Amino acid sequence: MARVVPRMKALEIQNLQKRYPTGVEALRGVSVGIEEGDFFGLLGPNGAGKSTLIHCATGLAQPTGGSIEIFGHDAIDRYAEARQAVGLAPQEPNLDWFLTVEETLDYHAGYFGMPRRERRERTKELLETFSLTEKRTERTRTLSGGMKRRLILARAMMHRPRLLILDEPTAGVDVELRLELWHYVQKINQEGTTILLTTHYLEEAEQLCDRIAFIAEGQIVAEGSSAELAERFEVPNLEDAYLALVGRKELSRSHIELAGEVEA
Amino acid sequence: MNAAQIRFATLWRREVNRFMKIKKQTIGAPLLETFLYISVFGAALGSRIDKLHGIDYVVFVIPGLIMMAWSINAFTNNSSSILQQKFQGAIQDQLSSPASPAELLLAFSLGGFMRGLTVAVLTFLASSLLVDLPVEHVLVLVPSLFLVGFFFSQLGVLIGVRAEQFDDVAFAQTFVLQPLIFLGGVFYSATLLPEPYETLTHFNPIFYMINLVRYGFVGFSEVSIALSLVALTAATTVLFLVNLRLFSRGYRLRA
Repeated sequence: MARVVPRMKALEIQNLQKRYPTGVEALRGVSVGIEEGDFFGLLGPNGAGKSTLIHCATGLAQPTGGSIEIFGHDAIDRYAEARQAVGLAPQEPNLDWFLTVEETLDYHAGYFGMPRRERRERTKELLETFSLTEKRTERTRTLSGGMKRRLILARAMMHRPRLLILDEPTAGVDVELRLELWHYVQKINQEGTTILLTTHYLEEAEQLCDRIAFIAEGQIVAEGSSAELAERFEVPNLEDAYLALVGRKELSRSHIELAGEVEA
Repeated sequence: MNAAQIRFATLWRREVNRFMKIKKQTIGAPLLETFLYISVFGAALGSRIDKLHGIDYVVFVIPGLIMMAWSINAFTNNSSSILQQKFQGAIQDQLSSPASPAELLLAFSLGGFMRGLTVAVLTFLASSLLVDLPVEHVLVLVPSLFLVGFFFSQLGVLIGVRAEQFDDVAFAQTFVLQPLIFLGGVFYSATLLPEPYETLTHFNPIFYMINLVRYGFVGFSEVSIALSLVALTAATTVLFLVNLRLFSRGYRLRA
């Protein structure tokens, strides 16, 4: 009988808490584990704690309790090793206005200690992958919204992270870029990169993610594959499971279709 | 270079690159301003003012102007750079990198230090073409300028980190720093002031910095050089440690 070798945890979060100085309790004891090679989705309504969780994992926010390990490295005590393994494409564009497209990638890789020759080759490769070669000498502030989004994704990939965190990467982008992105992240996931994706597009999560967690009011309330979540909420699909979670079952497409049939 | 050295060099390069990309504003404007001070206070008024402590007025003024150029540029660069990056969110790229708080702090500090140094060196070279500017005590001048540059770099970092809007930076520069510099004796000797202003000048820390730099250039000081150097070293160290603590805690940098 073949022995199942347990995979390493890319991200292991235990009882994570985050209370902001304003008193807002954004995370209330979140525990979740993502195995190496997973394509993991984190879904939840606005303000549920998705971005706070991501910020805690990447050093942009400081947890007030609990622990985070990235590939076995504590994100607080061994932050250098932990952050080296992570690439973050944040929800809000956070590009440096003073830099060109090419410099944005080069500087990012430099912050992660990549030697010059490797930076140059990697920059060229990612500029081509994300169709940014023609824009390489332009300052970031002159880019269109879609181009900024491409650059943010390329930047997150620049230092070849083992864990790629995509915080609503397709929000507000056109269909073409969304599909390009899907193809690209699926490819790098198959090549071994672990992916944590937050999105409001449920069909995106359904198509891409092996496992999905629902987060609401700073807590993980359900976790499993798309089918498991639908089964748990006794609904036919992930979208309805999500609507059940947020207490808006009446918005289910099945209700709309049914109403349409009755009218007809 | 190892990974840590590449990281630090990149953080530092980013800061220098920022001010070099807008050099008309960051280098050209302060140079012009200093040149105008030299023209007005040195050439125009200086010809009507007798020697001060046996030194030509224009020569008396230039060390203070060099110190002023270095300090204001070091301060402005760092406070603006940090605040701008906080506004854009671009600072997240550095904060989520493996860089340590000390690396981040030193890189931000060195950006302003380099801008101040560039403006000060250009001011010195331009002044040397106009007047015969001596350098009497190079062993006092070099550490003094180094400490002044590092002190104001640290002060710029502190204000930039604390600032939540551009008004905060402008307030510190316009209502605190500039009056202290102008009243610290750049353009005059404190001994010329009536009481209580002469005594009050001795409570202005910048008075001691100007005297250190002036002593380095022309060999004249109104205060103890050794005491001033010790006090400036102590103040710079304390400021650095305060900033390091803020960076380690992520104060107003990390949520």
